[in-house]
Amino acid sequence: MPFIEVKGVVKRFGKTTALRGVDLSIEKGELFSILGPSGCGKTTLLRIIAGFEIPDEGRVHFEGEDVTDMPPDKRGTVMVFQNWALWPHMTVYENIAFGLKLRKLPREEIDRRVKWVLELLGLEGFENRFPGQLSGGQQQRVALARALAVQPRVLLLDEPLSNLDAKLRLKLRGELKKLQRQLGITMVYVTHDQEEAMSLSDRMAIMRDGRIEQVGRPEELYTNPQTLFTAVFLGRTSLVLGRVDDLHDNKAIVRVGKARLRAVNHGLGRGDEAAVVIKAEGARLTAPHDLGSYETVRGRVSVSMYLGPFIEVRLVLPGANYEVLLDLPSDVTPPSVGSDVEVYVPLRNLHAYPVEEEIVREAMEHT
Amino acid sequence: MAASIPLSLRRITSRIAPRARTDLEIVLLLYIPILAMLFGFVAPLFIVVVEASKMDFRELTSSYYIDLSSEAFNNFITVRELPNMIRISVNGFDLGVIGNSVVNALLVTFIAALIGSTTAILIGLYRFPGRRLLAILAYIPLLIAPFVNAYVMQRYFGKSFTLNTFSYVLSEVTRPLIGKDIMIEFSGQAGVALAQILMFYPIVYINTLAALGAIDATLVEQAINLGARGWRLIRSIILPLAMPGVLAGSTLVFILSLEDVGAPIIFRFHKVMAYQIYQYFQSVGSEASRPAVAALSFLMLVFAALPLIVVRRYLSLRYYARLARGAPRPFRGLRLGRRGLAAVYLVVLPVIATAAAPQIGVVVLAFSKKWIGPLPELLPLDSMFMNFATLTEIEGVMRSIYNSLSYVAQALVFIALLGFMAGYATARARLPGASVLDILSSLPLAVPGLVVAFSYYVFFTTYFQGSMLDPVLFPAHVLVLAYVMRKIPFTVRSVFTAVIQTPEELEEAARSLGARRARVIRRIVLPLVWRGILAGLLLSAIYVLSEVSVSITLGGLKGSMVSPDHVGPITFAILQLTTQATVVAGGTQPHAKAAALAVILMTIEAVVITIASRLARRGQALVTI
Repeated sequence: MPFIEVKGVVKRFGKTTALRGVDLSIEKGELFSILGPSGCGKTTLLRIIAGFEIPDEGRVHFEGEDVTDMPPDKRGTVMVFQNWALWPHMTVYENIAFGLKLRKLPREEIDRRVKWVLELLGLEGFENRFPGQLSGGQQQRVALARALAVQPRVLLLDEPLSNLDAKLRLKLRGELKKLQRQLGITMVYVTHDQEEAMSLSDRMAIMRDGRIEQVGRPEELYTNPQTLFTAVFLGRTSLVLGRVDDLHDNKAIVRVGKARLRAVNHGLGRGDEAAVVIKAEGARLTAPHDLGSYETVRGRVSVSMYLGPFIEVRLVLPGANYEVLLDLPSDVTPPSVGSDVEVYVPLRNLHAYPVEEEIVREAMEHT
Repeated sequence: MAASIPLSLRRITSRIAPRARTDLEIVLLLYIPILAMLFGFVAPLFIVVVEASKMDFRELTSSYYIDLSSEAFNNFITVRELPNMIRISVNGFDLGVIGNSVVNALLVTFIAALIGSTTAILIGLYRFPGRRLLAILAYIPLLIAPFVNAYVMQRYFGKSFTLNTFSYVLSEVTRPLIGKDIMIEFSGQAGVALAQILMFYPIVYINTLAALGAIDATLVEQAINLGARGWRLIRSIILPLAMPGVLAGSTLVFILSLEDVGAPIIFRFHKVMAYQIYQYFQSVGSEASRPAVAALSFLMLVFAALPLIVVRRYLSLRYYARLARGAPRPFRGLRLGRRGLAAVYLVVLPVIATAAAPQIGVVVLAFSKKWIGPLPELLPLDSMFMNFATLTEIEGVMRSIYNSLSYVAQALVFIALLGFMAGYATARARLPGASVLDILSSLPLAVPGLVVAFSYYVFFTTYFQGSMLDPVLFPAHVLVLAYVMRKIPFTVRSVFTAVIQTPEELEEAARSLGARRARVIRRIVLPLVWRGILAGLLLSAIYVLSEVSVSITLGGLKGSMVSPDHVGPITFAILQLTTQATVVAGGTQPHAKAAALAVILMTIEAVVITIASRLARRGQALVTI
């Protein structure tokens, strides 16, 4: 039996439909992320799990028990908000002790637990400070401490690191992962930052437009995206359109302008219009030994930029108006703009899907 | 259509039912105030419509009600030259009861908007010597000294056996120059308009100032950066951005002018809707006039609603919230050019000084023996507080003070409870009816007080005869209820603004840690927003204390001040002292006594408004009604 089960959840706000039938299972002790662009419904889904919103259709179960109509204060879930929601009129101690007092724990137990979380999160000595006297990172830790102190059944996190600067975010991300392992607590983590989701999660769900696109382990989703959206959304990618010339094993041969590209086939037939998603990483200028597992992409260089860890090039395919984004290792000489080059791209980085207009349009705009 | 009603009802209940299971408190917080407002406000108003429908509206087209003949302007202004005096009488027009009310209100609104917004832009945006003085002077008319201020205006500009104050000063100049006195008298509609403009323009001023304070400095700086200055800057950037404030203020002025009964009483201009409704209460029992008064009340309601509908977008509670939310850096740095400075010192300053004059006059009168000629006759220094000291000797005055305090205390209990519920629920309940409550709880600002008084009288005498809410038996109970309904918007608005400024996540964090809504309100919401709530309560209190329309109508139902069990509050006593002098005070200079009572009222108002403004965090318009 899954620990948390969401079945057929639909949520409307006036005329907008935020969730259009979401099914999801989360296991005990798992760190599960919900990843998606802004406005895709991920926060709404989290708030439904927390009990702040009631779905118009569908049910939510915790360990088999229907909690759909249960108030948030009875669910045993605790939420950590994007802005941390620390009460400015209470000290750090009072903030953390609030939930414990509600549970009518004896005074000594409250003291013990507050001390425990303060130590756990490296906040000793800050008990008597007010939130306004803390740095961003410290405030974030207090929010986490307040949630952990009550030892919740599930910890729900709504982009808790997004208000921090990049370095601190990386540091706290590591701490959070360590903490989750140490305590074995079930966490549901909402974010729009794919790197964050992939580095933290045991499993994750990709959401788009009120629906779940794909659920799986991060590496599964990254290497084998089942839908066009997942493919475009994860990693640095570009998208080109063409028509399927031929099918070979699990590969589709797609004609794009004058070029022919081999790509992992996701349900295309011969003659179908195809959207080919190409991941930028792993490309190289010199021919590899195992040429069979690479595809050769020829084109004219329109952009060539040294970015430190890699060189970003954009190739215009012959006879087509599409640019392909590729990252070359930074130890080669950057090709000059206007030159014609051959670039070797790992075959696992090319995936072909049936065309979905909206996703194609958005992807083209962002490339 | 018929089938769609139960269908949408079912849809609404299907949204409420699950919330009631998970969060019953928010459901109660939303629907209790809605029910209270429906019973205490909407139902009585509905009765006015029912009563008005008994009237043949064609009667209202008679020349008594609407007179558009050329004679309407016959006495607008007359100039007579006497051997030693030029006498200029400005009477204004007589367009019949309805015509007078509406056209006068439009005129007053237009001029008040012009003065109010100009003053606000000058004070809010520019730096010039004397700015602070101007800012302080502009606030003075907000201190309400009902009836006595109109009385003082009458002394300044009105008809008189001798020269009025203005003519007296003017003639000191003209006598040596042309050998004649010049007597300028305002009476009738012109007197009413003059008094109302000077009493009400600060409402536009203060709303515009609040709107200006909410304009982010970068918007103005960007325009200046691109080369806009002076009139172009004001016309293209400042005015459009401040327009919500100008419109909000102007709408209120229009309503206040429609329902004002003080100036028409003092200037003896009785052919206005407000006076006709007021008069109904002077002869309660003569039910013959009831349909006509109901029709006038209904019309007044419609006229008051019209501008609100037109500018509705700008006037919702949410607008005020948006004004106050966030912390835009207000712009206050422009220097005035020569022409601007000339406009300030030659036009704006005198206008504002004139507007503060009635209040100053009231204070002077309170320390005077009498004011019959052009200037008041001051009391000797050793007995300068005599008017205050002898207040206790006038029958009924102490009782009116006791009544007022008792009403304020009772009304505040209900205003605090219902006001918090309504303000909080409007901000937080995402349930069917939240927007209805938003409208319901700001509605009383738009309904003229006299209409409320009339509707209460009819509604409660009809349906609650012989009960605790029968205004004939227990007028005080109905009076308190009317105060609660009329003045609750100030508290609702303060609570709403304070709550909406507090991130909802603070409450949700507590809920997710296991606290029920009631505890969240006690432990999280109240400690964070109590200042805003208290500010709103203080404002409501002060407006209950200075309320006029309901006080002088329902408050007079147990007889005049001299009757031993009169239920009138302070404003009722001031009216009686100002207008029925010989009856209530035995001719012992009652106007000066009324002024003393008004000064006490103004002092309380000044103190409470100062405290409330300090408590409110920023940018809330303190609108007087």
